[in-house]
Amino acid sequence: MILRGLLLLWIAAWIVAAFLWAPLVPVLGPTTRVLYFHIPSAWVTVLALGWSMVHSVLYLRSRNLEHDHQAAAAAEIGLLFCVAATISGSLWAKAMWGAYWNWDPRETSIFFLLLVYGAYLALRSAIDQPERRARLSAVYSAIAFVSVPFLVFVVPRIYFTLHPDPLINTRGKIDMDPRIRVVFFALLAGFTALFFWVQSVRVRVARLERRAEER
Amino acid sequence: MPTEASSSPAAVWAILRKECRSEWRTRYGLNAALLFAVTSLTSVSFAVGRLGDRPDVLAALLWVVLLFAALASLSHTFVREVEGRTMTLLRLVASPTAIATGKLLFNLLFLAVIELVTVPLFLILMGAPTPSWGPFLGVLVLGSLALGTGATLVGAIIAQTRGRAALFAGVSFPILLPVVAAAVSATRAQWSGGSVAVELRLLAAYGVALLAASLMLYDHLWED
Repeated sequence: MILRGLLLLWIAAWIVAAFLWAPLVPVLGPTTRVLYFHIPSAWVTVLALGWSMVHSVLYLRSRNLEHDHQAAAAAEIGLLFCVAATISGSLWAKAMWGAYWNWDPRETSIFFLLLVYGAYLALRSAIDQPERRARLSAVYSAIAFVSVPFLVFVVPRIYFTLHPDPLINTRGKIDMDPRIRVVFFALLAGFTALFFWVQSVRVRVARLERRAEER
Repeated sequence: MPTEASSSPAAVWAILRKECRSEWRTRYGLNAALLFAVTSLTSVSFAVGRLGDRPDVLAALLWVVLLFAALASLSHTFVREVEGRTMTLLRLVASPTAIATGKLLFNLLFLAVIELVTVPLFLILMGAPTPSWGPFLGVLVLGSLALGTGATLVGAIIAQTRGRAALFAGVSFPILLPVVAAAVSATRAQWSGGSVAVELRLLAAYGVALLAASLMLYDHLWED
């Protein structure tokens, strides 16, 4: 309860700081601020996908439906953050590159993650029996786990990217104002905490739903 | 209960022979798949005409046609068992891994037959320049192996869901996208005289990774 309030305050305060306190980067201008929301969203997208896949494999090993709840919840939340990252990135691309969508490698990979999330959730919705749904979607998740890193290697071979380096921009870091870095990492932590909080709520709902069904 | 003997190469071979025989009896799956491949090829050919001077477009179209053909046909072996209610019987005589491996081999054979018809037709109808055969066939073989392996696993999953046919294309697409991307890039490169070594290595690595993951996952496909 207190933690939830603190999280709300934390994110709200840093959003205000992002607009009022942190300076703008010369070339990017006002679009600098997308950094504070777009990258944390993209990070949560990847984190949620990894979380979902790890729990899928754990389900196959243990056959404990608890892991299936974790995997499904992370996929649902991950899809939301994936949409947020796609839209914020697309708006930024319009401002900086002049087009909402250009099949830049980064755009391709985020679109690919959208497809994986979508396919996983579509598959789940097509199976009624809980154990079978858990088992088959876990198998699918495991095979998607193989394909995700490959696409990351394949796509850059075919197209060149204009996207600024994510996170580890060794040259850019030196010129970056420390205030930008503080706000960015604060919001990154805030988004991560937000993910784990919503995740725990979603898992609790899934647990209750299962108990209601069993009755 | 599956015994030790039932997952032997003999069991895989028996499944493959059974698949071929029951397919040959009706040829329904093969006819439908060939018709579909030729139809999509014809519609592509009508839509854009001869494109001998644009090998970059040709490479993309070739793999779109092959992807469509694979998506239209490769879930068939599993769906047939579910619809005919023969899956339970099959599982009494062989382990899940033997069943899935046998069906994987059948699917690869199936894909090869489709490509034997589709690829020459494509080259002729589209007025494609002569490919450099070594790299071209290498890409076809490795691409089909990866395509077949991915589609077989997803086909086995999809056969146990509602709305099988509609789901199959959408759900297998994310798994097959790396194959198509690498294969298109390699096919384009061999037509423009470039090197395809990197793409071939990528296709081979992805195919092996999919196969290894499949062999680990086949056991989890059926357990009710």
